[in-house]
Amino acid sequence: MINFGVREVANSRATAAPGWAYVPDTSVNASVTALQPSSRTRVRNQPTASLHETTAKQEAKILRELAALDRENHRDVSIPVPIRHKDNAGRVSHGKSTPAVRKILQSQKTFANHLSDFEAFSSLPVPSQPTVSTPAAPAVRATPTLTGLAAAATAPHLTSKGTRSHKKKDLNTVSTPTPLRKVSTASQSSTPLPIKSEPSQDIPMPDAPLLSQGNSTIPTPHPGDKDPLLVSRIPTMPAQEEIEKLLAAPPMTYNEARGPWVYEDRMKPIRQFCEVCGYWGRVKCKGCGGRVCALECLQVHQEECFTRYGA
Amino acid sequence: MAPRRTKSSGPPPPANTLVLDNGAYTIKAGLVGADTETPAPNIIPNCLARDRDKKVYIGSQLSSCKDFSEILFRRPVEKGYLVNWEAEKEIWEHEFFDPKASLHCDPAETGLILTEAPNALPALQTNCDQVAFEEFGFARYLRVAAPTLNAYTDIQSIFKSPPRDPASTPTLPAEILMLIDSGYSHTSIAPLLLGRPIQSAIRRLDVGGKLLTNYLTRLLSLRQYDMRNDTYLVNEIKEATCYVSKDFKADMERTWKGPKGDRRPVYETADGIAKDYVLPDYHGRAKGYVRDHDPKAATKLKEMVKGKAMGASEDVLTLRNERFTVPELLFSPTDIGLRQSGIAQQVMDSLSSLPMGLWPGFLANIVVVGGNSKIEGFVFRLQAEIRSLAPAECIVRVARPADPVVNTWQGGANLAKDEEALGRLSVTRQEYEEYGAGWVARKFGGR
Repeated sequence: MINFGVREVANSRATAAPGWAYVPDTSVNASVTALQPSSRTRVRNQPTASLHETTAKQEAKILRELAALDRENHRDVSIPVPIRHKDNAGRVSHGKSTPAVRKILQSQKTFANHLSDFEAFSSLPVPSQPTVSTPAAPAVRATPTLTGLAAAATAPHLTSKGTRSHKKKDLNTVSTPTPLRKVSTASQSSTPLPIKSEPSQDIPMPDAPLLSQGNSTIPTPHPGDKDPLLVSRIPTMPAQEEIEKLLAAPPMTYNEARGPWVYEDRMKPIRQFCEVCGYWGRVKCKGCGGRVCALECLQVHQEECFTRYGA
Repeated sequence: MAPRRTKSSGPPPPANTLVLDNGAYTIKAGLVGADTETPAPNIIPNCLARDRDKKVYIGSQLSSCKDFSEILFRRPVEKGYLVNWEAEKEIWEHEFFDPKASLHCDPAETGLILTEAPNALPALQTNCDQVAFEEFGFARYLRVAAPTLNAYTDIQSIFKSPPRDPASTPTLPAEILMLIDSGYSHTSIAPLLLGRPIQSAIRRLDVGGKLLTNYLTRLLSLRQYDMRNDTYLVNEIKEATCYVSKDFKADMERTWKGPKGDRRPVYETADGIAKDYVLPDYHGRAKGYVRDHDPKAATKLKEMVKGKAMGASEDVLTLRNERFTVPELLFSPTDIGLRQSGIAQQVMDSLSSLPMGLWPGFLANIVVVGGNSKIEGFVFRLQAEIRSLAPAECIVRVARPADPVVNTWQGGANLAKDEEALGRLSVTRQEYEEYGAGWVARKFGGR
């Protein structure tokens, strides 16, 4: 057996377990070849197929290093709150704390604890909620504006900005910036109502600030403006409803908000650096796969390079 | 109808508001009155620290510390979110509710504006609301995502062009703003429309000041001295020496020593990139400082290597490619294997979830705040990268306010002066007692 049957689990490639089953398996079984390779030395450092795929060992190393970079102190310490402050002697009393607050103050949960709690909680099936408590996005409503226009009527008039190009600009739009749209401020849509309140349609909606067109000066017209090669095209502004919908969207969860690794960046090779001096890592150590820049750094590296399990 | 509109029934709004930008590294705090002049905020380290002699410092007491070697920190804010209330309460008590504190206030007669990082966990938000009302008993309370407050500062004055009519007064909040907040824990990208975040387009890049400091610590520990117990000092080195490279490849070539037997002459000074950081010894020299690299200077490390006394009095760290490879992580996180795209791509990814019509507005109004934006060359590089990714027709403007660390606080202070807006957004203690924590969470969550 390789590694006494121990396999590293920090693995982006899910290797199927070698388990057994009474099925005729005539194809090449990847898990079997992984466990019974022709050469025993390179099992964990098999060459990977794609550009960014790493071996289990490299992956584990990266994860370990990232975790180390995330630490607050180099070693684990606990700094207790000084005891003389714990009794409220000589301090402003904030009244008796409630059991809930005592629980919060005594909690020693870390962020990771809270996050896994949240993940476990959100993976539960959602119980049917009473619909009264959450009025569905009161923001998306047609505001009776000064002109009395419905939102549908304002929409086409907004798109005049959409096709903004120099040839279309006449001077009167320049002198009076057209109010583009009415968008309610934070208050109206972010106000959830108490459970027993009357329907939300009755909220008076004061006039909200507008997305103005700006007051910068527009360049003077030029005969070349009509040239199809020179015309600049500005995309259409979204309609008021669309903006309201964007603003009313609920917050994403912590994990959803994590920025992605976009496709363009995945296509680029990952830069490798010399582990000793920080220059480009052009040479790979035969033993551990670490990168160094040249022979000199390789020698330094090999003094300390040992390929112990898990290193 | 929500009760805050019937103002006559409730008590008058509190005269003072405690604006608290509760960052992971520092608290930015100040008391703002409706008609008094806004004071500069106090910047308070948000930590309990313990030095080598086991003395514990709380918050601003840290400034009395003389010896920062091997100092250890406990921070109530973890990954940008307020997690440990035991420690945070201790710090707040010391800074705001202690009779001797410079920002002393009585919470029962004070409003609170407290910032949080976007996309917080609901459990932590509820904890926060409960402590603010039940433990401290603030008269009025607003919990708000930190990027949002930046819309309440005059962002157009930060941009140099086009020139603005000086007489025009800015309308707050700013209509359209792409805010990049690069702080201690992470970097968040938040498009704001009329002072409200577009939640579906907020992105977080898990690279912050802490990661940069730890990365520099690792590099220095591998190459020169073991600095792993002196992250406070490494942070100072980082702030003093790091810069964002304009041409990464060229800088890399300049700082390479060359292969054996073919030493590059440029290596010693590296065209001015090589800098010496003279380490403090906490006796004669309490603070380290930077100077240009001097190959002939006698240092203690050389004495040790050569084994002879040269009368060196200084411990020196020489920084070469460490100076620019560390902040480079903000633009290329894959350098350490972190599978995320850099800031510029995150901005574009955030935009890609928005209608095309809003792109020109956001691209022309990008503001960076937070401590990392102070790194030399950050704004230039960010603008160049976004410029190369954005559609050619769009104007790209990236700017940094005069003091990017307190800009969020400044926005909060401006909001605190706007009684009408603040009253609309925040929750009074009576409302909390009447409707409960769930209602408050929904109100602040915009749901």
